[in-house]
Amino acid sequence: MKSIFKFIDKKTAYILITPAVIFILLFSIFPILGSLRYAFFDFQLNDRAKSGLYMNSQYNMALYNETIEYIRYFLDIEESVVQHDSTKHQIDDIRALLDSHDQYVKKEIAGADMGAIVRLDQEGLIYVNGMRDDINSSLERLYSLDEPFYSKEDTLAVASELDTAIIESNFSGFDNFGRVLTDKRVGATITFTLVFTFISVFLELCLGMMLALIMNKALRGRGMIRTISLIPWAIPTSVAALMWSYLYDGSSGIVAHMFSVIGLISESTQLLLSSQGALGAIILADVWKTTPYMALLLLAGLQLIPNSLYESSALDGASKLQQFRYVTLPLLKPSIFVALLFRTLDAFRVFDLIYVLTGGGPGGATESISIYAYKVMFAQTRFGYGSAIVLIMAVAVGIITFAYIKLLNVKLVGE
Amino acid sequence: MNTKKTEKLLMTAIFLYLLIIVFPFIWVTLTSFKPESEIWGSSALKLFADRPTMEHYEALFKAQIFNSLKNSLIISSITTVYVTFIAAFCSYAIARLQFRFKKILLAVILATSMFPQMIVVGPIYRVFVNLGWTNSYYITLPYSMITLPVAIFILITHFSKVPKEMEESATIDGASKLTVFFKIILPLALPGIFTAAIMTFIGVWNEFLLSLTLNSDAYYRTATVAISFLRGQFQIFWGQVTAATVVVTIPTLIIVILFQKQIISGLTSGAVKE
Repeated sequence: MKSIFKFIDKKTAYILITPAVIFILLFSIFPILGSLRYAFFDFQLNDRAKSGLYMNSQYNMALYNETIEYIRYFLDIEESVVQHDSTKHQIDDIRALLDSHDQYVKKEIAGADMGAIVRLDQEGLIYVNGMRDDINSSLERLYSLDEPFYSKEDTLAVASELDTAIIESNFSGFDNFGRVLTDKRVGATITFTLVFTFISVFLELCLGMMLALIMNKALRGRGMIRTISLIPWAIPTSVAALMWSYLYDGSSGIVAHMFSVIGLISESTQLLLSSQGALGAIILADVWKTTPYMALLLLAGLQLIPNSLYESSALDGASKLQQFRYVTLPLLKPSIFVALLFRTLDAFRVFDLIYVLTGGGPGGATESISIYAYKVMFAQTRFGYGSAIVLIMAVAVGIITFAYIKLLNVKLVGE
Repeated sequence: MNTKKTEKLLMTAIFLYLLIIVFPFIWVTLTSFKPESEIWGSSALKLFADRPTMEHYEALFKAQIFNSLKNSLIISSITTVYVTFIAAFCSYAIARLQFRFKKILLAVILATSMFPQMIVVGPIYRVFVNLGWTNSYYITLPYSMITLPVAIFILITHFSKVPKEMEESATIDGASKLTVFFKIILPLALPGIFTAAIMTFIGVWNEFLLSLTLNSDAYYRTATVAISFLRGQFQIFWGQVTAATVVVTIPTLIIVILFQKQIISGLTSGAVKE
């Protein structure tokens, strides 16, 4: 008993991290690896032949057996209704053909375990394709004869199942990635996302810095300023987007109206209908929502700078501007780094705001990478291609993070 | 003289800033009391309604907004409880105990918080469809992906602040590490745990993408997604939209007003090295 306690005490750290590790594995690491795997397949949920990840071609033996049985059954009926002996001979020939194919299939293709779905090697795939053509053409030849056939359509329909039984591999190697690189729409969405990210984060940083400096000087009402600043950050993005879509509305929206009065846009209905107007509208909504957050982060950093540093630099005759340049900025660097990095990554994967505000419109002009990836995956159900797009995005996130670390020379983990 | 002038300037700037932040809310709230006829046309830009009405709020009952608020509340609460516990265990181990792979674990947690969410949605959706878990409260499980990293980082900061002497004296008295954790550390770090819980709650409450894809059935939609569906394909009833916006914003407002201190600490811990 005592040894159990001792064991637990020795391994406490591992016991404590286990639940978190399990969750991270299940809902972060495995799905990421899953997306990586999808990207190498032509994986489409709404296409039966491609709705799984098939490394090898496969053959649906159950369906094959059923199909052959039906064809035989229909042939028996036809034999009893046709009038010419030559036709009867032809039916016999088809039966012989089915028999010989069936022998081969049972011997070479069906697995020893008689499973419903079996793997096909290259040779097997060629064989079942050839067999399908063989049987179909012989049936077509039979039905081109002038006879009072009983079930021409049914038989041919059943025979077409031989094609469905073949599940070809949808492994596509690097095809999806190649397509991403040549897809003009991907290029357009990346450009849009970069433009949006750059402009909005730049504006948010400048405005946020100004506001933080002002708030730091404010003598009264700090609590209220903080509370109100938190509201835009705290409300759901989709709610903020909906609110702004009302303010931007062509006929009822007051912001759209104000813009047309001061001449920013020719007519209030034009705001969300032109690509530049829509871009500006999205940026404004984003700046409104996240600048206060930026300001609060920077303010927290500002408050850590000891006042004595300002006093001594003032004694040395530094101007306010010099103080900002040589005292505030260097000491604020870690805060700026964190705020910038997380805002940039957030802006880069923007989804909710655009999904609700413009839906990517007008005419795809405000489609971010996330929006496009979502449409590919859930509107067209092309999960393979969608995953490839998302992976390109993840690589971009890595590059951005790395660039910031290098650029601002900050350590991310550890002291 | 000069300082007074600058102070006046500062106050004006702050006032303007606060006005810009608050203005959309005020405008939307005012609109929600206007009858549909006054929202369109020439009276759309008037401040107050000529004939104030509650009809849009009544219509919300039919639009199932309250049901989706209930979904949001349930899903957010469940996630908050289990994520906070798991995060507390993990962060204590990282902050105070020695084990192998600590740096790797930290790096992985940080990386998962940076990855675009889009990357996990496809595989999680497929697994959920296969298990028959779509349109259910199982959605709380993948929410750990977005909330765990934040909660863990907040808690690491707080656990590091608990004075080491407390632990050491207890260890000398023969208490095991687990006892120390439950009896001494947890009570002392309670404010931090509370902060992590609130940040988790807000994170889940505001989430959109997972909810949109996994719980597509109207009955299981969360508030963030349900409200986006009020924007119909062809016609938009701004009265209902604005009323729904007001209703959905109120819980957030309450949380912000009650817990602003914890939220600020949650936002800045990790971001600011003390």
